[in-house]
Amino acid sequence: MTTVLAPVAGTAIGLAAVPDPVFSQAMVGPGSAIDPQREPGQAVAPISGTIVKLRAHAYIVMGDDGRGVLVHLGIDTVQLKGEGFRPLAAEGDRVDAGQPVLFWNPAAVEAGGRSPICPVVALDAAAGAVNGEVRGGVGAGDELFQWS
Amino acid sequence: MAADVRAIIAALGGVDNVIEIEPCITRLRTEVYDASKVDQGALRAAGVHGVMLAGNVVQVVVGPDADTIASDIEEIMG
Repeated sequence: MTTVLAPVAGTAIGLAAVPDPVFSQAMVGPGSAIDPQREPGQAVAPISGTIVKLRAHAYIVMGDDGRGVLVHLGIDTVQLKGEGFRPLAAEGDRVDAGQPVLFWNPAAVEAGGRSPICPVVALDAAAGAVNGEVRGGVGAGDELFQWS
Repeated sequence: MAADVRAIIAALGGVDNVIEIEPCITRLRTEVYDASKVDQGALRAAGVHGVMLAGNVVQVVVGPDADTIASDIEEIMG
């Protein structure tokens, strides 16, 4: 059982509400999504482990059991090429759950015409493996769902 | 998840049909010359999670190995 934390503060809305079929249809795995507060802030590690991928706008933390959790900050944000994002950790770093990984500004993403919604995905997990999903207001580092 | 790189290229209509491939964490954003040459069934058979076609942009969802798969494809394409 892995407890997955909310990487950002906002409203937990569920993965199906993400305006990108790759996430809403759970093509890369089940999980949840957060509609973030529109203010600059830190995105934190959803689980403890190693940052196996760190891009300007997204990251994957893999636990020691091999489970990877993807955090994607906003939709189509690859197109921003890192503008407005700042890394607070490096690829290969070990992080504790709740430790800051990226700094970003959801309001700026939205002002640029993109959705700032953040999918949080249990990569390649079975469809029924995510449960105890929290909905509504969450703070960064609050429990978001369980990966059984 | 091991997607078959050569099968992905073939399903995209071959090397000559691919303009550009850009990896984004879990997917390959691929621009092709002729979208009618893209075989979505063959892409799924090659082991990908999903395919989205919009105009001449094909998004091939491959999971977190997207970077590795994209560089393998670029190597084959020369």
